[in-house]
Amino acid sequence: MIIQEPNQIGIGEVAHVKLKKLHEDRHFAEMRDAYRFAIALALAHGVVPKDITGSRQNIYSVATVDPDQSLYTAIKALINTGDTPVYRWAERLADWGVIEMSKRADEGTLDIGQILKESETLSLE
Amino acid sequence: MKLISLSMRNFMPFRGEQKVVFPTKPGQNVMVVLGNNMRGKTSLLNALRWGFYGIAKGRHLRDIPLHLLHNTDAGLDGDWEMEIAIQFEAEGFLYDLRRRAIKKKLVTIPGKPDDFEVTLQLQRDGMAMTGEQIEPEINRFIPKQVSRFFLFDGELLQEYESLLIEGSDQGKHIKEAIEQVLGVPALINGRTESGTLLKKARKQLSSELSHLKVAEKDLEKQREYQVKSDAYENDLQKLRDTLKKTKDDRALLDDQIEECESVYDAKQKLDEFERQRDRIIKEIERLNIDKLELVSNAWRDLLRPKILARREKLAAEQRRLMNQIQHRTSIENEAHQLRKILELSICPTCGQTVSQTRHDEVNSRLGALEIELQAKGGEQDSFSSISAEIDKLNKITTQEVGERIRDKDNQINRFEVELTKLENDIEKLRDEIKGHDTAEITRKRFIRDSLIKEQAKIETEVSTTQKQLETIKQELDIIARKLSNLPQARTARSSVLVDTYEGIEKAFSESIDSLRKNLREQVEERATEAFRMMTTQKAYSGLKINKNYGLSIIDEADRVIQVRSAGAEQVVALSLIDGLSRTGRSNGGPVVMDTPFGRLDLQHRDNILRYLPTTTSQLILLVHDGEISPKTDLAPIADRIGMTYIINESGPRHSVIERTAL
Repeated sequence: MIIQEPNQIGIGEVAHVKLKKLHEDRHFAEMRDAYRFAIALALAHGVVPKDITGSRQNIYSVATVDPDQSLYTAIKALINTGDTPVYRWAERLADWGVIEMSKRADEGTLDIGQILKESETLSLE
Repeated sequence: MKLISLSMRNFMPFRGEQKVVFPTKPGQNVMVVLGNNMRGKTSLLNALRWGFYGIAKGRHLRDIPLHLLHNTDAGLDGDWEMEIAIQFEAEGFLYDLRRRAIKKKLVTIPGKPDDFEVTLQLQRDGMAMTGEQIEPEINRFIPKQVSRFFLFDGELLQEYESLLIEGSDQGKHIKEAIEQVLGVPALINGRTESGTLLKKARKQLSSELSHLKVAEKDLEKQREYQVKSDAYENDLQKLRDTLKKTKDDRALLDDQIEECESVYDAKQKLDEFERQRDRIIKEIERLNIDKLELVSNAWRDLLRPKILARREKLAAEQRRLMNQIQHRTSIENEAHQLRKILELSICPTCGQTVSQTRHDEVNSRLGALEIELQAKGGEQDSFSSISAEIDKLNKITTQEVGERIRDKDNQINRFEVELTKLENDIEKLRDEIKGHDTAEITRKRFIRDSLIKEQAKIETEVSTTQKQLETIKQELDIIARKLSNLPQARTARSSVLVDTYEGIEKAFSESIDSLRKNLREQVEERATEAFRMMTTQKAYSGLKINKNYGLSIIDEADRVIQVRSAGAEQVVALSLIDGLSRTGRSNGGPVVMDTPFGRLDLQHRDNILRYLPTTTSQLILLVHDGEISPKTDLAPIADRIGMTYIINESGPRHSVIERTAL
């Protein structure tokens, strides 16, 4: 069965606000950097995200966020996406990741270098 | 002459009425006043100065305006009366001197000296003296001109040390001041006066000879030189006035700049810290940009461990498939060989015909292999698909930025700590300079620097003009002598005057030289006496005076000691002051010394404390505990100390002087 991948990719409304704030607070140079990092964070934590609750907003074209399809490959390699398009998974992962980063930022503990270090132990779990 | 008591009312930090009683017993003529800096030791010295002479000296011996002498707190309470009362005895009489300053009735808050009305009263044995008698009477015992030698502070001591630097500007001023005190100016004025009269007489003689044909040429020359001489004299006077004004302006600016030196330093530091802060902010900004650039790819690093694990799994699968593919190839090869044997019935190895038994065996083996080959399949596709996935995963894991991001974070943290420290320092410095016009301070420094250059320029001009004037005067002298030697001049009436004034001028010039020589000898002798008593270096035989009244130390072989310690310079300066004091006053009166022991070691202090009380009627020492330890340092003269006081701070603008024991 061929799964039709979407051309647009987005995030939940609440996470979108937080994503903007992460950019405004200069944790990331671009919003899309935060978006990609959020997906990776969720993947690193082995999160199996639920569907986005509330309204969802398209914010990027897939070609902008994942021009070389690396994200696609990574998600595909680490998760059994089943019948769901990979980029829909990506949205859910991003939603979870943005909310997690936002929590850390609010607590003053959003430290990218530290998160990267933590990911080394996460892989052993 | 002996001081008996000093009463102060609202004078400088001494608010209300405060009294000091001086020791008067001959064997106990030392008084010690202890007080830390800023408490009022110099104010006590100024109380005596103002009481006797109506002046008070501040930094650089500059006069303090009258309205600033009044205690600020007393003024805030509406008490605008200030008084100094000094009781002293001299020539068997008891004197009571009172100088009082009261705010004028129409003035609300005094802001200038004229806002006070000053009155002076002097009683001798209870009898009031008239106004014009008071100052001459005071000057009989403690002449104002000599007062700098018996009412002196540490700053004066430093000033005297500069006499030792030949040709120093300050040295010239002190020389003038010393000669003023020692009476030389009277003779200098005499020489100047006779010089003026001589000039007049020569002019008159020239006019009387103007009708003579024989003198015509010289008179013309004389007129020309005279015009030039007058012009140069005018120029010189103007230059000197300008020089004086420049020096005064510069000294005033120096004082003002010195007063706000700490503010200026704080401003300089603030500017530097602000520059450093801006540099750090920029550096943090740059590091942040670099870091964010790394962060943009950090998601790959975040996945790296998981991707590597996945890749490892895929690689294992890939290896397994490879083994299967190799196994299948070997089966296929074997099946191919077996098929060939069955087809040709000849052994491919030995070339012999295959037996029926062997044929059956081969057939059976081939059947088994074909079953195995049919069971396997699809490994190649799986292998290709896994290889493609591994390739894709390899692309994701090419970046490694975590370490670099952490390194940037560390650098940023270090800079942020530095930034916080700098910002705290900047805040403190801002508080320090709050309320001060730092731009004005910078402007003043700029003006002061221009004045220094201007001063040097004018000094050169003065020196050049002076030389030119001297040359012209020599020419005028030659012409004047030539004219007065003319036979016709001898009969002229003014010729007698010229001869007389020439003689007087010469006499004054010689007297000046002789008086200076005598005074220098006297000062040298007395200063040497004092030096021998005060120095700890017994190899030094004495002091030698130079033309500026500077003193050099001489060793046993009459050689000048070239290198002197700071302590030795202070002893020399003290010796000079003692020598001058005893040369300028016939009777040894009281001596008040403010902070005199700054750089002296214990032995020198000991010698000085033993010697000075023997040359004065009273020795009043104003000292702080940094220069003298009352209990130990004063032990050698403990029996000579008749009175001890301490100045304590009662408030920021209020000090109290009280009796104490050592």
